[in-house]
Amino acid sequence: MRLVIERGELLRALGHVTSVVERRTTIPILSNVLLRAGNGKLSLKATDLEREVIEDVAATVSAPGAVTVPAHMLHDIVRKLPDGAEIEIKRDPEKERLTITAGQSRFALQTLGPEDFPDIAAGDLAHSFELGAADLKRLIEKTRFAISTEETRYYLNGIFLHVAEKGSSRTLRAVATDGHRLAQVELSRPEGAEGMPGVIIPRKTVHELHRLIEASSAPVKIGVSPSKVRFEIGTVTLTSKLIDGTFPDYGRVIPQGNDKELTVSNADFIGAVDRVSTIASERGRAVKLNITGDKLVLSVNNPEGGSATEEIGVGYTASPLEIGFNARYLLDIASQLEGDEAHFLLADPGSPTMIRDGGDDTALYVLMPMRV
Amino acid sequence: MTAHIRQLPAETVNRIAAGEVIERPASVVKELVENAIDAGAREIDIVTVAGGLSLIRVTDDGHGMDRANLNLAVERHATSKLPADDLLDIRSLGFRGEALPSIGSVGYLSIASCQHGARDGLEVIVDRGSKQPIKPAALNAGSRVEVRDLFSATPARLKFLKSERSENMAVSEVVKRLAMAHPEVGFALTTGERTGLRLPRADLSGDGLLQRLGRIMGREFMADALPIDGERDGIRVSGFAGLPTLHRPDPSQQFLFVNTRPVKDKLLIGAVRAAYGDLIPKGRYPLLALFVELSPQEVDVNVHPAKAEVRFRDAGRVRSLLIGALRFALENAGHRATARGGTLTVETLVARSEPPAAAPFAYRATSQAAASHLPRGFSDAMQAPFAAFDEPSADSSAAQDEVAPDLLDHPLGAARAQLHETYIVAQTRVSVVIVDQHAAHERLVYERMKKMLSNGGVARQGLLIPAIVDVGDEEAAALNDKADELAELGLVLEGFGNGAVAVREMPALLGDTDIEGLVKDLAAEILDNGQGFALLDRLEAVCSRMACHGSVRAGRRLTPSEMNALLREMEATPYSGQCNHGRPTYVELKLTDIERLFGRR
Ligand SMILES: Nc1ncnc2c1ncn2[C@@H]1O[C@H](COP(=O)(O)OP(=O)(O)OP(=O)(O)O)[C@@H](O)[C@H]1O
Ligand SMILES: [Mg+2]
Repeated sequence: MRLVIERGELLRALGHVTSVVERRTTIPILSNVLLRAGNGKLSLKATDLEREVIEDVAATVSAPGAVTVPAHMLHDIVRKLPDGAEIEIKRDPEKERLTITAGQSRFALQTLGPEDFPDIAAGDLAHSFELGAADLKRLIEKTRFAISTEETRYYLNGIFLHVAEKGSSRTLRAVATDGHRLAQVELSRPEGAEGMPGVIIPRKTVHELHRLIEASSAPVKIGVSPSKVRFEIGTVTLTSKLIDGTFPDYGRVIPQGNDKELTVSNADFIGAVDRVSTIASERGRAVKLNITGDKLVLSVNNPEGGSATEEIGVGYTASPLEIGFNARYLLDIASQLEGDEAHFLLADPGSPTMIRDGGDDTALYVLMPMRV
Repeated sequence: MTAHIRQLPAETVNRIAAGEVIERPASVVKELVENAIDAGAREIDIVTVAGGLSLIRVTDDGHGMDRANLNLAVERHATSKLPADDLLDIRSLGFRGEALPSIGSVGYLSIASCQHGARDGLEVIVDRGSKQPIKPAALNAGSRVEVRDLFSATPARLKFLKSERSENMAVSEVVKRLAMAHPEVGFALTTGERTGLRLPRADLSGDGLLQRLGRIMGREFMADALPIDGERDGIRVSGFAGLPTLHRPDPSQQFLFVNTRPVKDKLLIGAVRAAYGDLIPKGRYPLLALFVELSPQEVDVNVHPAKAEVRFRDAGRVRSLLIGALRFALENAGHRATARGGTLTVETLVARSEPPAAAPFAYRATSQAAASHLPRGFSDAMQAPFAAFDEPSADSSAAQDEVAPDLLDHPLGAARAQLHETYIVAQTRVSVVIVDQHAAHERLVYERMKKMLSNGGVARQGLLIPAIVDVGDEEAAALNDKADELAELGLVLEGFGNGAVAVREMPALLGDTDIEGLVKDLAAEILDNGQGFALLDRLEAVCSRMACHGSVRAGRRLTPSEMNALLREMEATPYSGQCNHGRPTYVELKLTDIERLFGRR
C-alpha cells in the first residue's frame, strides 16, 4: 500500500472518525483506524463495536492495500505536521510498519492486520429518507439534554425517533426522558419515513452525529432498520446499533388537562432562576414558584446558606399556585426555547407541568415538580 | 407387612436428642462449662485431648452433688434448675436436663462430685448409654466430669467432624464466650499438650470486665474501648464498644450476651450497623462486647437446640436501646481516634531506629521509595531532579510564636507547624498531635452537610413515569410498612399489587439514579433486620462525595489561626476522629511514648 495525500484533507477525516475510538479498550484493534487505499481515494474507518464511522478522501494511490494503525496517534501526528504538507503513507510489508513521511519528518507506526477489523455489517436498511442538517440538528439539540444517564433503565439512554400523528398530519418525532422531565420535538414526516419502526438512538451516537452535522448544511441521508441506523453526511457515514428495548408509552405523561396558563418572558425567567438558585449550595434544591395575579415570585430557601427571592411580572389569570422545581431542570428547558415567551401549563404542585415555546409549537417539554 | 409403631428405647431417644444438643466436641465443652458455672464455680479447668474426641475433662469447685442428685443428673429430663417448672423464669444457663444424658449416650461419661463439707466423693459412669452403679471416688469439693471416646456410639457423626485444629478452635471459642460473660470466674483451658487460655478471676469492682475482654479481644480493643451503659424500661445494656477507627473485615469480634448467655443475633449486627453507620467504611465491622440484662420473662431462651439464639418479647425496644447507648458513647468520644495510630507509629519508629550515621541515607530511601517500585523507564533515568527543590517543605512559622498556654489545655492542643502542607503538628501538655488536614476538614464539612440534610428536610423529585419495581410479596409488604419513614428520607412509594411497588418520588439529591437497585436493597435489608439503611447510605454517600470536594485539600498552606480553628472545630464535632473513609484524622504521640523512643524510659 502506498499513497500521497494532502494534510488538511486527512486531518479533517481523522477528526471525524477517531472520536468514536475509545481511549481505553481491552481489545487492541479497537484503538486502531482502518486505512484502505484504492481507486484514487483513501477510506478511513473507526469503530467501538456499537457504531462505526467511515470517510472517503481523495488521494493519489500508487499501490492499493489496507492496514490498521493506532487512531489517536495517527491523528496527533497529522495534526502536528505543517499546514499544506504532502503526506506520503507507505506500508512496508516485511517490517509490518506503516511509514508516514512529510517533509523532513518520518514516522513508522506499528500495524495490525485489516482482516481482524470489526464490521457492524449493517447491510441494506429497509427505510430511508432525507432530512436537512438544520432539521436534524433541531431534533437532537432540543431533546438530548433529557436523555437519562442511568444505566439500569437502558431504554431511556437515547432519543426515541419514530413517526407519529399530530392531528391529521403525520410527523417524525424525537422524544427523550430521564423520568424527571421529558422533551419532545417533531417535524413533518419526510418522504420515505412512513412505516419506519420506532428506534432508540444511543446517547453516544447522538453526540457523534451532532458533531458531524454541526458544521454542515447539506441534507443527511438516513437509513433505518429495526436494529441499526445509518447517517450519510457528505463523505462521512455513521452507522450505529440501536438500543434494544421498548421506549415507555410517553404519551401518558404528557398532561392534557392543565388549564392554568402562565406566560413569562423567557429571558427574565432564566435570569431570575439563575440568580435565586445561587443560594442553593447543593444539587437538587428546589426553586419555589409562587404565582398570584400577574406576578411570579421565585424563591430559594437554604436553611444553612440563606434565602433569595425575585419577583417578575407575568401573564396569569388562574387561581394562585405554589409549586417547586429543580432549578437546573428549569434552566435546561428554558434555554431550549427560541421564542421570547415561555408558556407554562400547570395543574397542581404534585402533577406534571407542560412548558411550550412561544416561538415554536413543534416542541414541548414536561417537567415533574419537586416537593420539600 | 404392616410396620408396628413402638415406643423407642431410652438409649435411642437419648441419641436422637444428642444429635441436636451435641454437634461436636465444642458442644460438650459448652454444656459442661455451663453446668460448672450454674454450680457456682469460681475456678473452672478444662482439658481436651485430640480435639476433644479422646478426652474432655471439666473440673470445677462448685457446690457439687450428693448421691441422689448424681443418680438423677444423668437421667433424661432431670434438672435442678426449674424449681417452679416455669419456662418463663429461667435464671440459669441450663434448664432442660438434657445435656448429661445426651453426652452419656454418645460416649463414655464419668461424673465425680463431692459436696462441700462431705467426707467422700462419689462417681457415676454412663458408658454409651448404659449407666453403672455409683461408687466412691476421691476428689476435692466440686465436680469433675470426663468424657472419653466421644461419638464412638455414633460413628456417622465422627465423619462430619473437621480437623483437630478446627475442633480445638471451636472449643476455645466456646470457652472465650462464656469467660467474657463471667469475669468473676477463673478459666484455664489446656488443649492437648498446650496451655490454651489462662484467665484469672477478675475483680468486678474495678476494670475487671475490661481486663477480661482485653485478654480475649486483644490489647488494641482494650485501649480503644468505650464503656457502654444504658437502661430503659427495665432493660439494661452494658459492656464495651470499640472506637470506629478500630475495625475488621468480618463481624466475628462482635459479642452479644443476654442475661450472661452468649447468643448470636442478627438484631445485634443490625443495631451496631445502625449506630456506627457512616463512621465505619463499607464492609468493615467494629469490635464490641455488649451485655443485655432484662427480666427473664421478657426473653425466650428456649428457641434453639444449642441455645445460641433467643427471642425478645419486644425486640424493637432492645434494638433502640442498643443503638441509643452506642450512639451516645460514640458521640461523646467526639474527636477521639484510635489509640492504635499512636502506638503503631511508636512501634514503627522503634523498629526503624538505626545508628545516627545511617540517618541521612534512610531519609533518602524513604523519599524515593515510591519511585523505586515503578519500572525504571528510559526517561525516568534521564530526568534528574534539582536536588534542592526536592526537599520536603516545612512551614514552621507557627512554631516561631509563643504558645498561648490556654491553647495547650485543649485536647488537640496548640498548632505549632504545618508540614508538607498536609499535616498539622500540635502540642498539648502531654503529647504531640499530628492531624491530616484534608481528612479532618472533610469530616467536618460532611457532618455539617448531614446536619443540613436533617434540618432542611429531604427534597423530593417527582417521577414522570412511576418506577414499578418487582420485589416479591413479602418485600413489598415490608416496604409498605416502612413507607412513612422512607418518605421522610425522600422516597415515596406505594404497593402496586403482585409483589411490586410503584416509586413516585425520589430524593432530589440522588439525581438520575438506579431506582430499582435501591428499592431492592432496601427491601432485603428491611426483611433482614427490620430496617433499611440503603437509602440513608446513599444520601450520606452523596454528602460524603460533596464534602470531599468542598474540603481543604492536602497541599494548601494554612495560617496558624486557621490551623487552631480547625483543631477547635474538630474538638467540637462528634465523630471527627475519623475521616469519611474510616481512617483516623489524627494521631497522638504521648510524650511518654516519645521518651520511650529515646530510651529515656
Ligand atoms: N458441675 C456440676 N456441679 C453440680 N451439679 C451439676 C453439675 N453438672 C450437672 N449438675 C446437675 O445435674 C443436672 C443435670 O445437668 P444437665 O446439664 O444434664 O441439665 P441442666 O443443666 O439442668 O439443663 P440443660 O440440659 O439445659 O443443660 C443439673 O440440673 C444439675 O443439678
Ligand atoms: Mg446443663
